[in-house]
Amino acid sequence: MTRDVLILCAAGMLVSAYLMVGQKALFTAIRLYAVQSLLLGTVAITMAIADRRDELFVMAALTITLKSALIPWFLMRVIDRIGIHREIEPFLNVPASLLVCLGLTAVGYRVSTGFPEGTQGVTHHLVGVALSMLLIGLFLMVTRKKAVTQILALLTVENAVFLVALGITSGMPLVVELGISFDVILAVLMLGILVHRIVDRFESMDVSRLSKLKG
Amino acid sequence: MGEALRAAVFAVLQAALLLAAAPLLHGVIKKMKAAFQTRQGPPLLQSYYDIAKLLRKEPIRSETTTWVYAAGPRVYFATAVAATTLVPVFVTAAPLEAVGGILLLVGTLALGRFALASAALDTGSPFGGMGSSREMTIAALAEPALMLGLFASALAAGSLNLGTLVRGLAEQGPSLHPSDLLGFASLFIILIAESGRVPVDNPATHLELTMIHEAMVLEYAGPDLALVEWASALKELLYLTLLADLFAPIGIATTLTPATALIAVTAWSMKVFLFAFGVTLVESTNAKLRLFRVPELVATSLGLGFLALAIRFL
Repeated sequence: MTRDVLILCAAGMLVSAYLMVGQKALFTAIRLYAVQSLLLGTVAITMAIADRRDELFVMAALTITLKSALIPWFLMRVIDRIGIHREIEPFLNVPASLLVCLGLTAVGYRVSTGFPEGTQGVTHHLVGVALSMLLIGLFLMVTRKKAVTQILALLTVENAVFLVALGITSGMPLVVELGISFDVILAVLMLGILVHRIVDRFESMDVSRLSKLKG
Repeated sequence: MGEALRAAVFAVLQAALLLAAAPLLHGVIKKMKAAFQTRQGPPLLQSYYDIAKLLRKEPIRSETTTWVYAAGPRVYFATAVAATTLVPVFVTAAPLEAVGGILLLVGTLALGRFALASAALDTGSPFGGMGSSREMTIAALAEPALMLGLFASALAAGSLNLGTLVRGLAEQGPSLHPSDLLGFASLFIILIAESGRVPVDNPATHLELTMIHEAMVLEYAGPDLALVEWASALKELLYLTLLADLFAPIGIATTLTPATALIAVTAWSMKVFLFAFGVTLVESTNAKLRLFRVPELVATSLGLGFLALAIRFL
């Protein structure tokens, strides 16, 4: 039972990462991120119940309230204020991006067998999915032009790191996790302000314009 | 000889049951969609009335058309019915599973699509040609995605034959693998693309710029149209049944007794209803995609299908 829930949630996170790659509407991408975080929270809760580790409950609650409610809400507000709803054509078109992501997933899964814990059973899938998501997140950050999508990519990477930690050590110490959570909120808040500034100055969220001279 | 006769009777029974149930599925989806829009919607049995009315009418065909035009709906209907005999529905055996498996199923459905697309070209009207070209563009991506999604399940059960495949899955019991979810997501997108549901096509409108399936069958009237609509409903029911078979083989009968049969029929209708609800949810919450964005969606499904297959080896 535990095993099935864990695998279902991990695979769901991977699917949501893929849909994010194939997606251009920013609202949908944010919703996908919220779903992904909810699934991560479910993984944490399942592990907490199975291994009887109470501090994991705190982490799960934190993940669900912050990452699947507060941050998406904040990002949606930012988008509403700016009034830009779609990703423009990324540096790499969608089918090509998907192909690259397939390769990245293969690499992620392959690398996950290098961990002593990552060779069999649930851990293999958890770590494999997490490493794949990490690579997909990095790839998204490099190829997308909108600042908000890049923030979402960064958050996906953060989710992936959390999932690796859960898979290998069944969670980092509570203090570390709390620190990371507040870091993430601060980062998102600051990036939100930064996006406002970029839009103010350049009248676009396209970060590739940042390298142009503005006189 | 007795074996072949039994299979034939089984095939006819199952096909008749699915044919009878298919218009109801459309009715249920329309009703649920109307409920989402706080409308009352057409009565549940409206699709039956429509088909009965169309079947009674006199067939009217354009003078410029040839036999290809008349054959289109008939081949489309026949292939849809033939496809139902290759898929296990209530029992863990397909009536004609000795004939072929996944590849035959995909091929049969492709034949129907080919017949309808060439029939639409035969009319010489610009809408027909446009519809066929669009349908084929999507099919070129959707077909391999369908195959990959089915192959991923076949790999888990160790057989390309749908009967053996479902028997294997039912024996294995519920043991999840990430590839199951990836394959499900892939096939769900294909279901939406193939049955012409909202993000891809809109079954409720005849807007010239957006329609795909409706553009192809625009010229048909009377019994021809009835066959096309009935076959489309049957195809949708078939895809839903496939999803239920491959990803939730719960309650399907392994041996045939009255009790297991009753459970199997109930379980099947519940599962199909649930998936139909999912389709309605997607249809009600999404806007139709621009035509040139549709290949991107189907490519996503292709990617997921490929990943579902690849992840089994990693």
